[in-house]
Amino acid sequence: MKKVGYSIIILWFVLIMSACSEQTSKNELTKTNESSEDQRVGTKDGDKTKVVFWHSMGGKLQETLDSIVNKYNQSQNEYEIVAEYQGSYEEALTKLRSVGGTDDAPAIMQTFEVGTKYMIDSGFFEPIQTFIDKEDYEMDLLEENIINYYKVDGKFHSMPFNSSTPVLIYNKDAFTEVGLDENKAPRTYSEIKEAAKKLTSVNGNVTDRFGFSMLTYGWFFEQLLATQGGLYVDQNNGRSGDAENVLFNGEEGLRIFNLLNGMNQAGTFGNFGSNWDDIRAAFQSGKVAMYMDSSSGVRNAIENSPFEVGVGFIPHPDNMEPQGVVIGGASLWLSKGIDESIQDGAWNFMKYLQTPEIQAIWHVETGYFAITPAAYEEQLVKDEHSKYPQLKVTVDQLQSTKSQPATQGALISVFPESRQQVVTALENLYQGMAPQEALNQAARGTERAMEIANRTKNKE
Amino acid sequence: MKVVVDEEHKGQIPATINKLSFLSRTLNNRTALLYLLPSIVLFSVFVFYPMFKTVYLSFFLTDLQGRPAEFVGLENFQYLIQSESFHKSIKATLLFVLYTVPISIVTALFLAIIANEKLKGIGVFRTLFSSTMGMSVAASSVIWLFLFHPSIGAINRLLSIFNIQAIEWLVDPSWALISISITTIWMNTGFTFLILLGGLQNIDENLYESASIDGASFWYKMRRITIPMLSPTLFFIITITLINAFQTFGQVDILTKGGPAESTNLIVYSIYREAFINYQFGTASAQAIVLFFFILIVTILQFKFGEKRVFYQ
Repeated sequence: MKKVGYSIIILWFVLIMSACSEQTSKNELTKTNESSEDQRVGTKDGDKTKVVFWHSMGGKLQETLDSIVNKYNQSQNEYEIVAEYQGSYEEALTKLRSVGGTDDAPAIMQTFEVGTKYMIDSGFFEPIQTFIDKEDYEMDLLEENIINYYKVDGKFHSMPFNSSTPVLIYNKDAFTEVGLDENKAPRTYSEIKEAAKKLTSVNGNVTDRFGFSMLTYGWFFEQLLATQGGLYVDQNNGRSGDAENVLFNGEEGLRIFNLLNGMNQAGTFGNFGSNWDDIRAAFQSGKVAMYMDSSSGVRNAIENSPFEVGVGFIPHPDNMEPQGVVIGGASLWLSKGIDESIQDGAWNFMKYLQTPEIQAIWHVETGYFAITPAAYEEQLVKDEHSKYPQLKVTVDQLQSTKSQPATQGALISVFPESRQQVVTALENLYQGMAPQEALNQAARGTERAMEIANRTKNKE
Repeated sequence: MKVVVDEEHKGQIPATINKLSFLSRTLNNRTALLYLLPSIVLFSVFVFYPMFKTVYLSFFLTDLQGRPAEFVGLENFQYLIQSESFHKSIKATLLFVLYTVPISIVTALFLAIIANEKLKGIGVFRTLFSSTMGMSVAASSVIWLFLFHPSIGAINRLLSIFNIQAIEWLVDPSWALISISITTIWMNTGFTFLILLGGLQNIDENLYESASIDGASFWYKMRRITIPMLSPTLFFIITITLINAFQTFGQVDILTKGGPAESTNLIVYSIYREAFINYQFGTASAQAIVLFFFILIVTILQFKFGEKRVFYQ
């Protein structure tokens, strides 16, 4: 009898635990939201209207953002912005998904560029075009390439805020050491390969320094594709209709995979995984001499490296006119169906962020672009650019971009999932899978996700 | 007056007796139900409802907000059967169970046996050996994240002293699962150790004394007394460790996010990713059901074969 009792208890354990496995993550999500319970979308508290702002700016970026928010809160008496850090873009989006359309959703939400299509389709947000039309707000003052990305069907859905592009960052001291010109960053694939070969130093069977590296992250692949004029998906990169087929596994994509594969097999490519901090630590500790980073990481790389740091444009295949880069970063979204005064506050804050003065601070403190070119005329920026000429490179690269569907960037609602697929493809490639096969696998995974999204769209 | 009442209620008396006896006959059951009520309510809310919802969702495709949008029957399961990434996930999970469960238990058993000796200051060791129990999954994962760091991690620093090529612990698919296993074994040890030590201390001293009088060796006592007397505890800990291994999530999320090349995409992480990142609750639920049957089968097998060897006092 005792034995049977024992068994039953343990069997119960099994049932409970397996059923709970799905629950835990859900609980995690709700937990973080509890803290903001009293704040919600924003409340009318005394004379100041509170406006909740969810963002994904961690570390140093958060400090800068907080100081800007403080400045805004002190500059007027009507609104109070409550900025809350919600983890990475992916994490914040996951949180938003569980509260979107409810009272717990924030009034302003910062979402990365590839979430744009999802945010539009979700229906939780008021296109800011409404506010632009209401007061004839001048959006033409913004950087042209930024407008090109965020204008969808001739309409602004969100307010661009922090924009970045990828750049090549390299160790100038190492360049001099191996006899390369430290003021000339390699640009074409063959220049990159050659430089990487020279820069790699092997000691016995230990590689002390790799020539080149790239974070295993879909964004860089997208950029290397766009600079060749290659499209990610059909329907003009999803801008003239819902995309159905993947195009990134074509010849342009294959060129990228072949380049990485070649260097990886030659031992000149160092794989530091998919964590931004890891690859930055590798560069700063001299384990890799060239790598691709976001322009928002430039300032940090210069300050934290014990050697001279150079910045260049992203690489492109030989004998080809580079098309430039796709704007990365994030934009701000304004919630629908909330109190009008809170919406006004959110809109007011968005406009404040646009001013050249604030954009100048934002640009020099973080390395993100000033979305208003007028900011580059501010004295603060001029001083900073003469101190850190590398920051100027990122601006030049953006401004020399040619506008076309490839560099406008793709719009697909399942972009985050597609990025996972590309990451897996890159990892498989580094493990010796054939480039085309790895690409095709990612393409199939993305197509399935797009198919499900198209099937279930508007079918509630 | 009395007679009148009796007359009036004459026909009702047998019925009342019946009613009373039904109530009194079920009194025990009802009392039991009352006592069970709190757990029935809790289970219904936290176990039964999610379980049925999972089964329901597994027949649907969900839209971008995760709402069921299209009934697809068994399509999600068909997809899983064909999906290479799900095969990888199952393989990784089984390998992970194989790597962690036996080693965790053998390590903890060894530690428990040496910590069971009555020596001066043994309390210090007992505390040390069980200390990992007090650490959250997140904290311990972060510690290991630093140890495994590809360029500035302590383990690779140590290797470079001996001029061994740095191992890409979390970046190389052939190492990543092993790295996660090492972390997990380290984390399991505390709890497993504590339970096993408790089990060891429950064994009657007299058994050892009389065995010693009969001249039994250390190993003989171990085989004939310790292991059989510890078997209920061992059985319990094996079951729990096994289930935990199937449901590992935290360390994967923090250390590798299922990468590289999906080599550490254990099934629970894969469920999480499908459900809460891609918002495909349909495929995620289908995976959850597969996991449920996996655990069920393993546990039934264990009870069928393993429990026979268990010796209950």
